Amino acid sequence: MKLGALTAFSAGMVNVASVTVFFAFTSNITGYYAVFAQELSKGNWYQGAVVLLWILLFFIGSFLSNFVIIQGKGRWSQYISHAIPVVLEFLSILFVGLYLDFFYQNSLQETEFLVGALLFAMGLQNGLTASISNSVVKTTHLTGLTTDLAILVSMFSKRENRNNNALVDKFHLLLTIMFAYVAGGLFGGLGYVYFGNGTFYLTCGILLVIALYDFYKIGRIKRMFIKRHQEVCSI
Amino acid sequence: MSRDVLIKINYFLVAFWLIGASLIVMHFESPEKLIQGEWVEKEWRLEKEDLHGTDDLQIQAALRKEILRNVEDLHLGIWKFYENGTLRSTTPEQGSEIEWFIKGRGHVLELRREGKQIESFQIQQISKDRLVLHLNFDLQVKGIIEIVLERKERGEQYAEKV
Repeated sequence: MKLGALTAFSAGMVNVASVTVFFAFTSNITGYYAVFAQELSKGNWYQGAVVLLWILLFFIGSFLSNFVIIQGKGRWSQYISHAIPVVLEFLSILFVGLYLDFFYQNSLQETEFLVGALLFAMGLQNGLTASISNSVVKTTHLTGLTTDLAILVSMFSKRENRNNNALVDKFHLLLTIMFAYVAGGLFGGLGYVYFGNGTFYLTCGILLVIALYDFYKIGRIKRMFIKRHQEVCSI
Repeated sequence: MSRDVLIKINYFLVAFWLIGASLIVMHFESPEKLIQGEWVEKEWRLEKEDLHGTDDLQIQAALRKEILRNVEDLHLGIWKFYENGTLRSTTPEQGSEIEWFIKGRGHVLELRREGKQIESFQIQQISKDRLVLHLNFDLQVKGIIEIVLERKERGEQYAEKV
């Protein structure tokens, strides 16, 4: 839940900051499918191609996350598998922040490229959280989450479902992600007013916390496992 | 067809779309290039939310002036987008300049003065000859203004023909 909340918070921040700077959403691509079709129907090949590239970058990000996790099984530790997508995401967002601070000339080409980098980062994050949670949690967009929440709320109209702890836990998880995403958006919007491009560095800071938390959690589980193993062996 | 072949087709399709889209972006003219030059205002259309059956209202001069109060440089109805990123209506004069930027996927025209945003338009259509901008405004009523511009060279040719 904590991991989901933190990733959703960072996605909300990135999304609002990118809308403010680039006039483009970067954490969700549902709208871009519609925009892609719209641009093609208008004969705007250039804009259509840009949108297609963005969708593909999000796709490649998600692909890479899961690829690293499934290919890493048995080759390297689980922590490394989880850390690689987070590090790549961290580097992408850091690159955007640094580029904005030191090189950005406000040209359209730069905007398109930087939006692409952020979509790649969000694809990485979404792929990672979805892979870890068996596609239960997706933290960069709320369409599916809102649907799941609505279904749960309707299920809770029956008493037996209200007493089902698994359903209640899922409800709490989805609600936490939703509020974290909105809070991240608010923080991103306000953060941009006070820190400007520094908002992207703050997001990098949150990603560092996520990586360290994951490291701590996997380490704790490992220690618990070794302790129990020793207890069983001593008996 | 075997699944091994299907997955190879998947990889091929992703690479194909990626290369195809990259080639289009590299070789087609971007909105940033298309917009450069001189444009003449041809039409102003007001689409109010609370007006029915009156789509094509001519905007009164006073209202138009009020809407463009922050961009008085454009009051002559001529928009000159210079390659260096400045926007003027008449010959360049000393003083604070309006800067133009294209944002998003090439669908937002942002105007700034001294680094501060003064107006932003949605680019509804852009081609070599025609530029259609939408402006959300919130004066007495909420609504959208559509500004239609044509490239000056073309307008002059048309005048000569007439």
